[in-house]
Formats: sequence, C-alpha cells, structure tokens
Amino acid sequence: MSVQRSFYKDRVYPLLFMFITTLVCILLTSGLHLLTLERADANELSFARRAILQAGDLEFENTTEGIERAYHQQITEEVGYYTATGTFGKRYIIPLEGPGLWGTIAIMVGLEEDLQTFSGVAIVSQNETPGLGARIEESWFTAQFKGKRAPFTMVEEGTASANQEVDAITGATRTSEYFKNLTARVPAEAQRLIRGE
Amino acid sequence: MAKSKLKKTFLEPLGKNNPVFVQILGICSTLAVTNKVQNTVVMTLGVTFTTALSAWTISLLRNYIPSRIRMMVETMIIAAFVIIVDIVLKAYYPEMWKQLGPYVGLIITNCIIMGRVEAFALNNKPLPSLVDGFSSGLGYTYVLLSIAVVRELLGSGSLWGVRILGSWWTNWSIMIMPPGGFFVLAIIIWIIRESIMKEASHA
Repeated sequence: MSVQRSFYKDRVYPLLFMFITTLVCILLTSGLHLLTLERADANELSFARRAILQAGDLEFENTTEGIERAYHQQITEEVGYYTATGTFGKRYIIPLEGPGLWGTIAIMVGLEEDLQTFSGVAIVSQNETPGLGARIEESWFTAQFKGKRAPFTMVEEGTASANQEVDAITGATRTSEYFKNLTARVPAEAQRLIRGE
Repeated sequence: MAKSKLKKTFLEPLGKNNPVFVQILGICSTLAVTNKVQNTVVMTLGVTFTTALSAWTISLLRNYIPSRIRMMVETMIIAAFVIIVDIVLKAYYPEMWKQLGPYVGLIITNCIIMGRVEAFALNNKPLPSLVDGFSSGLGYTYVLLSIAVVRELLGSGSLWGVRILGSWWTNWSIMIMPPGGFFVLAIIIWIIRESIMKEASHA
C-alpha cells in the first residue's frame, strides 16, 4: 500500500502536474496568439510595405494609414518585384534574402532604371546581435547605399569616402560582411527578376 | 502587524534589498536595453508585469507543486507570461516590439523573476508574493530608468527620442554602445553604496 502511494506521489503526480501546467499555459498563449493573429499579420504587411517605400526612396507619412496611402499611390506590384513611378522616372524595388550571423536577413533594395544604382535599402527582418549587428536597421547605415552601385567595400565605421565604400559597423564585422555579400547579389538578381535573364 | 509586514515587503526591494544594485540580479538586461529611455520603459513594464504575476501564480500553487519539478513549473509559468507580453506587444505596439527584438523573449531568463519566485513566492502567501514581485519590478525599473536617462542624454543628446541638448552637444557614442552600460551601472552602484547605503548601515 505504502509502495503504491509513494509511486503515485513520486512518479505519477509530478508528471500529471507538469502535464496540466503545460496544457494550461499552451492553451492560454495560443488562444491569445490566435485572437491577435489578424492584427499581427497586418502589422507585418505594413512593415514590408514601409520597407518597399523606403527602398524606393519615396516620401510617406510614418503611420499605418500614411504607409497604406503612399504605397497604393506610388507602388505597382509586379511578379516578384515592385515598381515606383514619379518625377524621378521609374524605380525598381526587389526583395532579397541571404544569410546573416544568426539568421536570415531579408531586405528590399530599390534600383534606378539602369538596374545598377541603388535608390535605397531597407531591412524587412533580421536576427543579428542586438546593439551590434542589429544596427544594420539604423538609418545612417541603410542611407549609405543611396546613389551607389554594388559591389561595395566595407571600411571602418566613419571612414567611407570613395564611391563604392560604405561604413561597416564596429563590433559587427561578420554581419557587415554578410550584408556586403547580400548587396553584391543585387545586380544579377535584378536582371533575373526584372529582365527575366 | 500584517499591514506593516506588507509595507516592509513592498519597501525592501526599492531600497536596501534592491534587485539590481544590492542583489546584482538582472544585469544582462540592465546593460542591454538602457541605451534608449523608450525601450527601457517597455522592458521594465514587461519585467514588472511578469515578476508580479508569476510570483502570485506560483504562490497560489506553492502547496501543490512537487518540489522536485518546481523549477520546471516555475519556468513554464514565467515563460507563459512573457509570451503573453510578447504577443500583446507584437499586436498593439509593433514598432516597439521590433525595436526590442529578442529582449522580450529574454525576460524569461531575467534572474530577478526566478530569484523572487524561489526566494519569496514559494514560502509566502499570494498577496505578499504579488507585492514582493511587483515592488522588485519597480526597484528594477527605477534603477534602469536612471541609467537610461544618463545614457540617452549623453549618448544621443535626447530623451524619449526628443532632442534635448542643442547642436553644440557632441554625442558620446560610447554611452549608447555596450561599454557605456557598464560604466554608468558601475558608477551608479558605487554612488549608492558609498553614500546612501553606507549611512544606512552605520545607523
């Protein structure tokens, strides 16, 4: 009798307790997740659209409505890429993904009509080291690519001067390198997506 | 009696038993998120919410949790609260969520939460545990905020993203980089321990 009791107490009860705790926690969090899914997806889409606008170097008001309005006015969705038309002529915006230090870096790259000169770069998602590699999201970094042509050379932070040079991020040599490689693929990728070559 | 005890439970983590500058817990996030006041506020709200509610929940269950698996149960409950914070931020404050990135998930590993649960909630009733967790969160909050104010002001010349100092100000970039966190935290701990805490221990 006492053996059975201790078997229940030592083996069955802890297992049961953990199982129930886990079940309750999962039900709670997944329920909340499903409730807010629509909103989260809408945010995700809005971020992607903002990245497209930023890559195209287009003006927009930085609110959800502002992004929607500017996007519908200026962007045309093509198969696999986006175009923007305005006083500057025509710009092409292509999505691109590549490896980073910890995970995939997804970006939008805007190109002028020559498909060589960058009009802008914007980060869609990244998992780089916070405070170091994650600084690729900061505007001083992405703004550097405007008006330049790939491939780029990464130089020490704060020293870029020549036309193909961009400042790397101090303390994030590997991320900077991955980002350089990602942008180096842009011309070929643009030819493939837009010209179908 | 009960009331004064509750008051003591509330006040201790704010002063002589502060989780950051006395217990030196939760330092990883203290260093990581304090380069902008805005991020710091959200992080501390998340931690306070999680510490308070997980302490309360675990205190409710304290007589039923088998002691051999208590850490698993604690982690599970803490993780559930953190995921709730994450989901809410993602849906309603996406900009903030993006900025904080992995830090929200890392609230789970904030030593203050586990520390308070283990040291306090397992042996106390739900209400005092809730108070203890909440005020540990507050103790964490005000230390982090003071660090963040110094770092953002010196590092970016701004507070809450609004420029305060004029164009004459040269930003101390080191303040917003990780080393700046170490410097400011160490200086604050030093000042508090040398001046305020010393007097208290002499009295």
